[in-house]
Amino acid sequence: MTKTTTITEGELEDLRGTVRAFLAEYSGEQAVRRAVAADPGYDVDLWRRLATELGLPAMAIPEAYGGDGFGLVTLGIVLGEMGRAMTPGPFFSSVILAAGALLASGDETACSTRLPGIADGSVVGTLAVVEADGAWRTDGFATTAREDGGSWVLTGEKTLVPEGSSADLLLVAASTPAGPALFAVDAGAAGLSAGALRTLDITRPISRVALSETPAVLVGDLGAARQILADVLVRASVALAAEQVGAARACLEMAVAYAKEREQFGRAIGSFQAVKHKLADMLARVTLADAAATEGLRAADGFDDAPPAAVAAAVAHSVCSEAFMYVAAENIQVHGGIGFTWEHPAHLYYRRAKADQLMFGGPAVYHERLLATLGV
Amino acid sequence: MTTTEADPLAAFADEARAFLDAHAERRSTDAVIWGKGEDHTGYFSEDPPEVEQALVDQARAWQRTRYENGFGWITGPESYGGRELSGVHDLVYDQIEAEYDVPDTGVLSLIGLGMIGPTILAHGRDEVRDRYLPAMFRGEVIACQLFSEPGAGSDLAGVQTRASRTEDGWVLRGQKVWTSVAQHAQIGMALCRTDPDAPKHKGITAFLVDLSLPGVEVRPLRQMSGGAEFNEVFLTDVHVPDDHRLGEVNGGWRVALTTLMNERASVGNEASTGVARVLSDGFLAALLHESGHGEDAAARRRLAEITADLTAAEYLNRATIRRLRSGAQPGPEASVSKLLWAQNLTRIAHLAAELVGPRLTADTGEWGTFSWNELLLSAPAFRILGGTEEIMKNILGERVLGLPKEPS
Repeated sequence: MTKTTTITEGELEDLRGTVRAFLAEYSGEQAVRRAVAADPGYDVDLWRRLATELGLPAMAIPEAYGGDGFGLVTLGIVLGEMGRAMTPGPFFSSVILAAGALLASGDETACSTRLPGIADGSVVGTLAVVEADGAWRTDGFATTAREDGGSWVLTGEKTLVPEGSSADLLLVAASTPAGPALFAVDAGAAGLSAGALRTLDITRPISRVALSETPAVLVGDLGAARQILADVLVRASVALAAEQVGAARACLEMAVAYAKEREQFGRAIGSFQAVKHKLADMLARVTLADAAATEGLRAADGFDDAPPAAVAAAVAHSVCSEAFMYVAAENIQVHGGIGFTWEHPAHLYYRRAKADQLMFGGPAVYHERLLATLGV
Repeated sequence: MTTTEADPLAAFADEARAFLDAHAERRSTDAVIWGKGEDHTGYFSEDPPEVEQALVDQARAWQRTRYENGFGWITGPESYGGRELSGVHDLVYDQIEAEYDVPDTGVLSLIGLGMIGPTILAHGRDEVRDRYLPAMFRGEVIACQLFSEPGAGSDLAGVQTRASRTEDGWVLRGQKVWTSVAQHAQIGMALCRTDPDAPKHKGITAFLVDLSLPGVEVRPLRQMSGGAEFNEVFLTDVHVPDDHRLGEVNGGWRVALTTLMNERASVGNEASTGVARVLSDGFLAALLHESGHGEDAAARRRLAEITADLTAAEYLNRATIRRLRSGAQPGPEASVSKLLWAQNLTRIAHLAAELVGPRLTADTGEWGTFSWNELLLSAPAFRILGGTEEIMKNILGERVLGLPKEPS
C-alpha cells in the first residue's frame, strides 16, 4: 500500500472548513465566471495562492518529492470543495493526472525532477492520452516515439488534453516498437503546438496538442504505459468521484434552498410532494455517491478493510457520475425557468456533470470496466 | 491502514469469535455454482407449516444459546440478562456472526427483540418487564406488533381498535392486519383508541396482549407471492389487565414512537438467505452467462448499473458502521438504505425476468428459472414494508432536508 501520513476525522473537517471558507471568499460564482472568460481559463493569482498559502497541490505528493505525503482520502476533501465551488484551475490535471502518472511510473529521476514543481504550484502538468476517437486507451496509440541518438522525439496528435494550452509539462502516451510508453514534453519544445477547443464544461479548458518530431524524455520503462495509465485511471476515477460528490451536494443544497423560498399557489414549492420526493431522491443518490467516493478513496490509499482499488474506483466513477448528472438536471427542474438561464449557475454544474461522466470513456465504457474488474 | 490506536471493541470482537467458534460453523465462502444449492430467490417464506415450525424451533434454540453465553441482549440491562454494552457492540457482533452458519432468528428478533423488547423496557411496569423480557430474550416468547389496521396504513395514529375501561382493566375490540409472525407469537403490542374525542395522536393507549386470551383470533393472510407471512388478528372483547398497559393512558403515541424508531434502524439491513444470495454479484453474473446473455450489451449494461449501485449500497452500510463506531449519531443513512434496498431488489427482479425470459412463466423443473418468481412477486412488497416509498421520501424531505410539510 501507499505510505500515507495519517490525519484524524477532526483534522479532515478542519481542512474542509478552511478550503470551503477560502473558496467561498475568492471563488464565488462571479469570480468563477470572470476566471473562465479570461486567459488561460482560470485565475492564475488564485491558483498561486491555493499553492502557496494553502499548499494544496503539495498535499498528496510524497515528502521525498517536496510534498506532505497525505493520501487520497485527505485530498478528497480538497477535491470535494473545488467541485462544490466549481473553481477552475489545473488542480485535477496537474496533481491528479500528471503527478499521478509520474508516481505510477516509478521513475525516480522523473519524480525527483518534476514533482517538486508540481507540489509548489510553479509547474502545471497534464496528461495527454486521448486521440481522435476520444477513447481513454492504454495501448495502440497513433502518436509514435522514435529514438534518435539516445534521445526521443514524438510525432502525432493528442486531443481532449485538459489544460493543454497552459501546461508547462505534458506527459504524453505514445507507441514505441517495444510497446506503449510515457514521455515528458516541456511546453515550448520544438514542434509542439496546442490549441484550445470550445468546451461543454466551460470551467475546464481542453486543448488539441500536435507534436512533430518533438523532443521528449522517456518516463518509466519502455513499454510500461499500459500499467501506468491503468493505475492513473484508478486514482483519477476516485479523485473525480470526490469532486463530483462535492458538486452534486452543491446542486442538492441549491435546489433545497430554492424549494423552501419559492412560493407558488400560495405555498413553498418544497411542500408539494412532487417536489419533496424529487429532492428526497436527490438526497438518496448523493448519499450513495458519497459512500462510493469515500470507499474509492480509501481503497486507492490501500486501507486494509477496503475493497480492491480497481473495483471500488469503477463503482465510484459509475455511481458518482450518474448521481451528479441526475442532481444537476433535477436542480434545473426544481428552479424552473430561472434554472435554464445563462445567469443562473445551475448550467455550470450540468455542463460539468456530463463532461465528467464522459471524461474517461462514458457509461458504456466504465460499465464494462466494472464488469471486467469482477471477471464478468 | 495506518491507524495505530487500539480498537476498544477488539476484546469484545475476540470474545464473540470465541463464542461462535465454539457453537457454530464458519460459513463457506465458495463462489456461486450454477445449478447447485437451494433454488430460492424469495424474501417471504413459502415453506409448508411443519418446515416453518422447525425453523422457528431452531431460531429459538439459537437465541437461547446466545442468551446463555452473553450475546442474547448485548445492549440490555444486566438485571434481564443483558450486557449493558452499546449499539455499536451489537453491530460488531452482527458483522461477526454473519461469517458463521447459524439459524436465521428473524422471527424472534426483527420485531420482538428489536422493537417490542426495548419498548417494554422503556414503558412497561416491573411485573410485565420481569415476566416477559427474560423469556423473550431467552427465545421462549415471540412478540408481534398489533399496529396496522385495515383503515390505517401509513397513518398509524388513525387506529380504530377500541379499548374501554372495566373494573380491573380494559376490554379490546377491533381488527389488526399485516401482522408479521403473529402465527408464532405469544404476545402482541396493540395500539388502541381510548379517547375517540381527543385529537387522533392523543387518544391512543398501548397494551401488551397475551395472544392466548379468549377473544383473540389469528388468521393467516395470504399475500400475492403465495405464502402466508402475515396475519389478520381479530380482537373480540379481549380482557387485558391494567398492569399490561404500556405507558400512560392516552399516551400510546409516545410508546409507539419508541417502537418505530427501533424499526427504522432495522429495516433495510435485514437479509434472508435467498435474498442475500441474489444480492451477491457472482450470482447475477452466473445468471447472465447461464441464460445465454453473456455477450448481450444491453443486459451487460443493466447488470453493471445494478452491480455498481448494490456495491455502493454495501459501501454505504460500511460507512454507517464506521461512523457509529467512532461515536457519531445515526444520520439519514437508514432511510436512504431502505429506499435503495427496495429499488435495487426490484431492478434485480426485473433484470432476472428478462434474462430468464418465457421460462419464468411456468415451472419446467429447470434450476434457476421459475424460482425467480419468488423475487418478482416479493418485489412490490419491498417498496411498501416498513413504510411506503412515499412516506420514506416525506420523512427524508421534511426531517433531513427541512422542507415544509404539506398544509393540512
